[in-house]
Amino acid sequence: MKKASKKIIDTPQKLESLRNKLEKQKSPSAKSISICIGTGCAAQGSRKIYELFCEAVKDSGSKVEINTKCVGCHGFCERGPIVVVQPGDILYQNVEEPDVEEIFRETVLKGAIVERLLYKDPTTEALAKTPDEIPFYKSQQRIVLLNNGIIDPTNIEDYIAVGGYGALSKALFSMSPDEIIDEVDKAGLRGRGGGGFNTARKWRSCRNAEGTPKYVICNGDEGDPGAFMDRSIMEGNPHSVIEGMIIGAYAIGSSQGYIYVRNEYPLAVDHLTNALSQARERGFLGENILGSSFSFDIKINRGGGAFVCGESTALMASLEGRTGEPRAKYVHTVESGLNEKPTNLNNVETWANVPAIINKGSSWFASIGTEGSKGTKVFSLVGNVENTGLVEVPMGMTLRRIIYEIGGGVKNGKKFKAVQTGGPSGGCIPAEHLDTPVDFDELTKLGSMMGSGGMIVMDEDTCMVNVAKYFVEFLKKESCGKCTPCREGLSQMLYILERITKGEGEAGDIEKLKTLPKLLEGTALCALGKTAANPVLSTIRYFQKEYETHIKEQRCPAKVCKGLFSYEIDAELCKACGICKKECPVDAISGEKKVPHVIDQEKCTKCGNCFLKCPFNSIIKV
Amino acid sequence: MHTVTIDGVKVKVKEGATILDAAQKAGIWIPTLCYHPSVSNYATCRICMVELDRGEWKQLVTACNYPVRKDIVVSVSSKEAVNARRGVMELLLARSPDSEELKEIALRMGVKGTSYPKVTESQRNCILCGLCTSVCEEVIGQSAIGFSGRGVDRTVATPFRLASEDCIGCGACAAICPVGTIKIRIHEDTGEVEISPFKSRAKLLVCEECGARMVTEPVAKSMFDRVKIDWEEFRNRARLCPKCRRKRSAKALELSGNL
Repeated sequence: MKKASKKIIDTPQKLESLRNKLEKQKSPSAKSISICIGTGCAAQGSRKIYELFCEAVKDSGSKVEINTKCVGCHGFCERGPIVVVQPGDILYQNVEEPDVEEIFRETVLKGAIVERLLYKDPTTEALAKTPDEIPFYKSQQRIVLLNNGIIDPTNIEDYIAVGGYGALSKALFSMSPDEIIDEVDKAGLRGRGGGGFNTARKWRSCRNAEGTPKYVICNGDEGDPGAFMDRSIMEGNPHSVIEGMIIGAYAIGSSQGYIYVRNEYPLAVDHLTNALSQARERGFLGENILGSSFSFDIKINRGGGAFVCGESTALMASLEGRTGEPRAKYVHTVESGLNEKPTNLNNVETWANVPAIINKGSSWFASIGTEGSKGTKVFSLVGNVENTGLVEVPMGMTLRRIIYEIGGGVKNGKKFKAVQTGGPSGGCIPAEHLDTPVDFDELTKLGSMMGSGGMIVMDEDTCMVNVAKYFVEFLKKESCGKCTPCREGLSQMLYILERITKGEGEAGDIEKLKTLPKLLEGTALCALGKTAANPVLSTIRYFQKEYETHIKEQRCPAKVCKGLFSYEIDAELCKACGICKKECPVDAISGEKKVPHVIDQEKCTKCGNCFLKCPFNSIIKV
Repeated sequence: MHTVTIDGVKVKVKEGATILDAAQKAGIWIPTLCYHPSVSNYATCRICMVELDRGEWKQLVTACNYPVRKDIVVSVSSKEAVNARRGVMELLLARSPDSEELKEIALRMGVKGTSYPKVTESQRNCILCGLCTSVCEEVIGQSAIGFSGRGVDRTVATPFRLASEDCIGCGACAAICPVGTIKIRIHEDTGEVEISPFKSRAKLLVCEECGARMVTEPVAKSMFDRVKIDWEEFRNRARLCPKCRRKRSAKALELSGNL
């Protein structure tokens, strides 16, 4: 206990002097190696790379101190594992174990560059030494992800050194709760979890609601397919979320907070748990925070991974230990939420924005973004795009700039077809709307939504009916089954979509696919059901012809839906090797040695075996 | 008190009353399936949709659990509301095509059939309204049945789908089921009652004299536990049905010459 009390920071002055001390320790010429241990890089073995660097440092016996540290996600997951060497901010990509020795010898010890590991622009072939020179980073503006990739998420001093908990100190000692809410209001912060609700208004309602205790909750139940924004924030900079929550709790008048994070994010759970105990040890959580009269603490709850638990009322039911099912929100959760007490729930990214707003002021924040959507938004850019990764851009950047300038365009030189935004409740946006500025309201106008920030790029080989089917199938699986429209309606919708993709579509199917969503929107219990039809509606809106071709001609233009196209052998490319003949399970392929083979269309079941196995790509879809 | 205007009819209700309460007061019928005054309200069936006029926009809400907290204007007969209710009913009819009770309510709503095929495997016409699980938990206090599974695989079941020891065979679930899915079966051979489809059985008390069936043993036991009467003593008395007990008492009095 004595040790803990030594560490405790119980005045704003102590925090300030600790930061000054830490800053002095940092010299611009100090040598350091940062290895990304975000889930993407870790999956490619970055932990081992970190260990090898540690060994290298030890073995070198260098007299100069070389700091080796693990950092959170840099965002450029496509090129992981990523290693950044200081001084010089030199970014190495796709680093593998054998590269460690060379990086250490050349760059760390001699200050030279290992050119082969630098980012090379695919078009100009120019080499980029630092992140600023890489187009992927150049157009981004980072607020939430600013310190991801710089600080060690397991070390609170790293966070304090970059100004961490300064916003909390400012809020507690020089602002009243109302002033904080006003500041967030003026900043124009809107909820990053999907709905885009005005954050300050939510806080104010909860502050004004009757009843104690009041709760604040961080929703870390990110469940959209292909989304990993919140995950990377929780893994890479957990203290920013915690600091945001403490400030929010002070403004609202709450003494207890919860972070609901899915158990499929073990690293996030780990880093959050560690961050909470470090924050407690330093006096940022618990009784009399920073020596003030304000007390607050946070608990972590691990979710079982049900998509519907991202819905606020279902999340609260799950927190209470009941089945994670939503309830009617006619009485808002800010009045009666967790344990029927006033509860304020915000998403991870929303909380992480709060310290920056308090630190730099609302006018700075409001100067970024568009009229109705302020600040930045983190997107996980995935799908058929060159630079898969995490990007943070000011609101209002066009889809085209995000996909082409930052994302590097569509993979393998294919043509762009659509971009799906907003997760399963979002929609698909076609090429003609690529110049739309991305913000809450513009995306909604296009029949999609901002959602939590998933962005899936689709190329010309994507069948839009199949995409709609994929999302409806996902939602059908994730529907809790409590209310009739969601449970039964999604099954009916999927049934029709399956029929269409099998070439058994009927006249009137498109009409049915337009009326069912309207029913769901009006009658479903929660947002999962209400928005479940967006993928269907938006694909019909922009790609109705593709639906019609499936139904009227029994043809899949993108050649994705099995049975709605046929396989043929290109006689010029065929080397008559006989592999396809061997692989065909129904003996539909015939041909002698040195004679191009032929597929008997009558016998062919379109299983696709030959297509996959042909070594000469001579089997084509027609 | 707040004024609720439903289809032009004005009624006054207390703070926190529901739109359904107001409609009942106004004598306007709104179909319900998962609503019952004796249990909590979960608004799962969505058949009671009405249109709430918020001035600038209109919103579909469930009448059974929308709390009245100020003066409001509601439409039961608007096109949007009628279509919403009918749409939900069509989905339910596709799920449970054989329920006569459901068809009856559908007809009253003007729904003659469904355009949807039966695509979900349902449990003997169950519409998953949750009344049975609520009554078992909240009124009877047994929680012998509950929801199991998720989404389309959701069913009402006993733990592990085995005959439940918690079931006292009271039959409340069968009585409250709005679509006649849960049934009480009497097994003559064993003198037991079975709550179908849950397979739970309970022994019936039978009169020693005339053989008339009375309540189930566990129901009687739970009643007498509540009023603190010794079960063994009661068992002695419960060998006869009330009719035969009266007869026997009368005979005893006659024999003792007290008459």
